[in-house]
Amino acid sequence: MMASHRLFRFPKPAWINSANTRTAGVYLSGALFSLGFFFFVDASAYSRSAKNGSTVHVTFVDWIPGICSALGTLVINSIDKSRLGADSFSYSGNGVAWKARLVLFLGFALMAGGLAGSVTVMILKYIVPEYPFPTLWFGVANVIANALIMLSSAVLWVVQNMEDEYTYNLAL
Amino acid sequence: MAGLKTIIVLSFILAIGFLLVILSSALWKNYLPLLVVATYVVAPIPNWICGRAANPDDFMESSGSVLIDFGRFLTGFFVVMGIALPSLFAHCALIQYPAMIMSIVGGLLIYGTIISFTMFFQEENEF
Repeated sequence: MMASHRLFRFPKPAWINSANTRTAGVYLSGALFSLGFFFFVDASAYSRSAKNGSTVHVTFVDWIPGICSALGTLVINSIDKSRLGADSFSYSGNGVAWKARLVLFLGFALMAGGLAGSVTVMILKYIVPEYPFPTLWFGVANVIANALIMLSSAVLWVVQNMEDEYTYNLAL
Repeated sequence: MAGLKTIIVLSFILAIGFLLVILSSALWKNYLPLLVVATYVVAPIPNWICGRAANPDDFMESSGSVLIDFGRFLTGFFVVMGIALPSLFAHCALIQYPAMIMSIVGGLLIYGTIISFTMFFQEENEF
């Protein structure tokens, strides 16, 4: 239906809106979240294991960025996406779109704060004191974990926005 | 489609998977890899529960599809957890590296059995 006002020469591939792609995207998102989570759990388990030669350990400070990122994922993906543009319709009163955008902003802020916080922790706790690599791994794993959680949230977001067009195609 | 041969082959694969996981724990007298079995048994459960709880018939109502998505998210989480957990244990010197390989392969065999079993037997009562 969008063929008449297309911008690019290449048409949108047909598989993008299929239900299977959507399902696979949701699975992929869960897998990415799990991967990120276990990268960080690995770092904290390694810090208490016999292989950690140094006296530096993963403490609660290292957990805060991950908690922020996970909360941000939860907030962003709990929002009903169709409420974001609700101001253009007449049936939505009481500023639903405004509230939705505010909560969404909070979610994105939490997530960006988590990623930035993990970089901060890595620099301040591990790079500035110039620790060698087995200890530096705690900071690197923290950054990897937060980036993967962010990626998982992005995949889930894209996939959930795909759903609208899919249901629309069905309804027509 | 789901004949006797399928059941026999699937049960053999399941037995091999369990053999690998149990060997990976018992050979080193370290029973942490058994958690992999628990993970893979738990993995399809969110899908089943959310599939029951949500009504797949209404396309316009988004609440049902959200529940299904949540179940799929959890399933994806658990499947990767089954691979991530043994590698975490091996990296932190809680288990040996051969035990890690054996438990990952065994866990994948067990999960593959569960998935193909549900696929074979769901096809009959559909429609």
